[in-house]
Amino acid sequence: MGGMMLQVENLHAGYGGAKILRGVSFDLAAGEVLVLLGRNGAGKSTTIKALMGLLRPTAGRVRLDGADIAGWEPHRIARAGLGWVPEERRVFPELTVAENLEVGRRAPADGRAPWTPERLFALFPNLADLRQRPGARISGGEQQMVAIARTLMGNPRVLLLDEPGEGLAPVIVDLMAEAILALKREGATVLLAEQSLAFASRVADRAVILETGRIVWDGAIDALLADTGARAKHLQV
Amino acid sequence: MDLIFLQLLTGLAGASTLFLVAAGLTVIFGVTRVVNFSHGSLYMLGAFIAWSLLSRLPREPEYFVLGVLGAAVATAAIGAVLEVVLLRRIYRAPELLQLLATFGVVLVVQDVALWIWGAVDLSLSRPRWLRGAVEIAGLRFPFYDLVLIVVGPAVLGGLLLLFHRTRWGLLVRAATQDRDMVAALGVDQRVLFTSVFALGAGLAGLGGALALPQGSANLNMDLSVIAEAFVVVVVGGMGSLGGAFLAALLIGVLQAFGIALVPKITLVLVFLVMAAVLVVRPHGLLGKPQAMARGEVEALAPIRQAGPALQLLGAVALVLAILAPFVAGPYLLSVLTEAAVAVLFAASLHVMMGPGGMASFGHAAWFGVGAYAAAFAAKGLGAEMAVGLLLAPFAAGGLALLVGAFVVRMSGVYLAMLTLAFAQIAWAVAFQWVEVTGGDNGVLGVWPDSWAADKPTMYWLALLLCVGGALVLRRALFAPFGFALRATRDSALRAEAIGLDAHRLRLAAFVLAGAGAGLSGAVFAYAKGSVFPTYMAIPHSVDALVMVLLGGVQTMAGPVVGAVTFTVLQSWLLMGDFWRIKLGLLIIALVLAFPTGIAGAAAAAWDRWRGRAA
Amino acid sequence: MGPLAGARGVIVLVAEGLRKRFGANEAVAGVSLAVEPGEMLALIGPNGAGKSTCFNMLGGQLRPDAGEVRLADRVVTGLAPRHLAHLGVGRTFQITASFASMTVRENVQTALLAQKRQAWRFWQAADAQHVGLAEGLLARVGMASQAERPAGVLAYGDLKRLELAMALAGDPVLLLMDEPTAGMAPAERAALMALVRGIARERGVAVLFTEHDMDVVFGQADRVLVLDRGRLIAQGTPEAVRADPRVRAVYLGTAA
Repeated sequence: MGGMMLQVENLHAGYGGAKILRGVSFDLAAGEVLVLLGRNGAGKSTTIKALMGLLRPTAGRVRLDGADIAGWEPHRIARAGLGWVPEERRVFPELTVAENLEVGRRAPADGRAPWTPERLFALFPNLADLRQRPGARISGGEQQMVAIARTLMGNPRVLLLDEPGEGLAPVIVDLMAEAILALKREGATVLLAEQSLAFASRVADRAVILETGRIVWDGAIDALLADTGARAKHLQV
Repeated sequence: MDLIFLQLLTGLAGASTLFLVAAGLTVIFGVTRVVNFSHGSLYMLGAFIAWSLLSRLPREPEYFVLGVLGAAVATAAIGAVLEVVLLRRIYRAPELLQLLATFGVVLVVQDVALWIWGAVDLSLSRPRWLRGAVEIAGLRFPFYDLVLIVVGPAVLGGLLLLFHRTRWGLLVRAATQDRDMVAALGVDQRVLFTSVFALGAGLAGLGGALALPQGSANLNMDLSVIAEAFVVVVVGGMGSLGGAFLAALLIGVLQAFGIALVPKITLVLVFLVMAAVLVVRPHGLLGKPQAMARGEVEALAPIRQAGPALQLLGAVALVLAILAPFVAGPYLLSVLTEAAVAVLFAASLHVMMGPGGMASFGHAAWFGVGAYAAAFAAKGLGAEMAVGLLLAPFAAGGLALLVGAFVVRMSGVYLAMLTLAFAQIAWAVAFQWVEVTGGDNGVLGVWPDSWAADKPTMYWLALLLCVGGALVLRRALFAPFGFALRATRDSALRAEAIGLDAHRLRLAAFVLAGAGAGLSGAVFAYAKGSVFPTYMAIPHSVDALVMVLLGGVQTMAGPVVGAVTFTVLQSWLLMGDFWRIKLGLLIIALVLAFPTGIAGAAAAAWDRWRGRAA
Repeated sequence: MGPLAGARGVIVLVAEGLRKRFGANEAVAGVSLAVEPGEMLALIGPNGAGKSTCFNMLGGQLRPDAGEVRLADRVVTGLAPRHLAHLGVGRTFQITASFASMTVRENVQTALLAQKRQAWRFWQAADAQHVGLAEGLLARVGMASQAERPAGVLAYGDLKRLELAMALAGDPVLLLMDEPTAGMAPAERAALMALVRGIARERGVAVLFTEHDMDVVFGQADRVLVLDRGRLIAQGTPEAVRADPRVRAVYLGTAA
């Protein structure tokens, strides 16, 4: 693999009159796990939504493996290879776990072996017994696993994970971290939005910090952990 | 015994076509979240197209099947065009504006159908095989009834297979629950929505075509079937096909027996059954509580008190209105009287729709009750005008209290459909109870007392009562009551947690709205000297909706602006033939141009202008 | 309210043997707890352990199948939320719920009008009522400068503080806070809960909250209850709970 999978250049976006992103730029290499850090309202979720086309960027470019996907509609972006796991999980409440996965099914664009429900149940063993359970009747942690598995069924080239640990018990957060590490071993490319530096430091290779819609720090996660000044200044930790 | 069986059969046969229409409605609503008022028009088109095909085709059974299917496919195609041309543009608009746009389609289709097929009822000369009967256990059953009885469950089975055994069905079910998430998983919503709309339209067309041999294709089918379909969908439970089927059976059989046994109160009976079902099961027979669909949570701008500039504008307008009789001729004066009545009619609807968050499709019911109360006071009691004007708001408010007691337990679309169903029943009572209401001939000679008999005095009285009434309502909305009411709309959860009784607040708003509309109806009755069932008919309810939405729900001035604009438009632009198509296209154009209403758009423009100036 | 408010050592809320079943699933299977004035009591546990169900039974959103809830000495089991509000129960929700069509100040004024049973007034202007009280409450939660902003445009953390001000409008003896810091940045979380703690101490308000952030739980709670599969599996001081091997196994994992 190698090379740049996702290149974000000078991305601007907002809601109505409110500008949230004011020129966000970063690169994501194939096989890399990059974490977007920053306070509430800094623009992490907005970045992810703008990449996914759920929010139309007002300026800037998003190159996915060379093609500029900025301004495309969400379903085309999904087909091009971005897979989004929303913070609120948004599991279909009245579909069973198995049906939830089916909705996400899409053949891989390249020659990779596709994800199947069986492979995903191996990744998330908790789900295997819940196949026929409606999405509304599983716990928050299980819903998070279904949300990730459903997106993986589309065989995305880049996985966008928005705060996968939010509102979950610490033991489930551990499981999420392990799952991300397992995906990384398989060569997945992941963009993670996260508040918790502790969680980020367990899974990420590199970090960028967002502040009021701009990137204020970009570097290896180990460098961030070592840089107490930057942490105090940008993350208050 | 025979009679009972035959009635049962007639009922079950009617239930099948009703189910087809309701199934289409519920499928379309599930995915697009659009309450398709024009669904009845598609049913009507299905019947007309079937008539055109079948009256040209040979009369053998296989050609009958071909003709019916052809009508269904043609209706599906019309539905697809409708979706691509109109609905696709308004999926993000507030749901009431979508509804209004589809009502615009109703009006357009009515005139188009009038133009193509004419005003005469078109019935099919039925071939012999269609008129035949089948003998089972010594009883003779009409053959076509049996065919229809089989079609209902067959279509239900087919739909269930389609939704649960195909990938398309899976995606439709997923989109029903969270359509934006489905798009983010790589599914093209447009294809999905267009195909769903075509399917729903095709079902309506199939229903219309199948109903043709037993009745006729006529221009009244659209609104009568849509009211029934709303009832079926609400009783069955929104989004549940099985529920729609059960409810269609229930309503169909009830109607068949009702018409045979007690024709006058059939509709009331239907309403009572619906009420009973909803008291026991608030979400219908097989329905589930309605979650707010994802991706359409509306951010509501704060409602502001009018600024000094707007207050001055209002005061100037009021002074001009008071002085109008000195310059206006009799025609203009009667238009202005109607505008004053419309202001209170719209303002009263706004109380429940805006701050109350309860959209009504049947607001004309209260207007009509007030008008009939005035007529009763004048003709039945021989009382002075003051008695009628006093009786009207109490009669309408009292009835609103009864109806509202369970209507306000619902929310959103359920509530709106219930109000429509109730209004339709009120209309039917006025239409059918000839001894008291005079039926279609109405009540004539409801004249004001002699002191108010001249036009200017009547106008001033209308202005005083209606604009005064609207101002009183406005005051209540800025009082603690209005804040509490808005609180229950913004967040019922939080409202309860701070100690507010949401149910009683909503009921109070419902009663206030009913009483206000009742007063406006009484003023109108005295101003016109007569009362007709059309005061309560669906188009009049839609007038009120158009006024409020035209003006904008989120502004207090909106209903006033909307009422005056609409009345003036109606009296000048919309006279003569084909007024429906003109009004329909106007409504559609307005929805596309001003999704937040005229007053809303004006307020936004004002803010922009001030923002630049500052 | 009444003689209990502020008197330390007296119990504000007692729940005994609460049970709730949904179909075949017993969400809460016999939970008893008590909160004292001025106490910060945290309820933690895995997702699906029954925390929300428990909370909704205490807050009146759900009626328990069995068990009893007492507020001071009054049995309030199954009482509707609006009645509990008038008995001194303030509530905040996991997903913020405020009145988006009003300004921040009007939100608090509406809460004050509701609590003082003045909602059924049709004539006087609402925005002139209880202005001083509303501004005082907003100042207490650090929102005075945002009083005239529409509630719909507030940042998430500010919405949480507005909700707190609204919950305080009824002069509560008990605050029920469901995941009060969900979705907030770490620094904001600590600030909000420190504010709640200050108010609890100052007014003798008993606070029961659920929380997933262990820094908040161990930093701000006086006592912690741990729920798993509908039952309490541990309770005590933060230190004791943190050291409990069962709690580590079912809930804490590597976080403690």
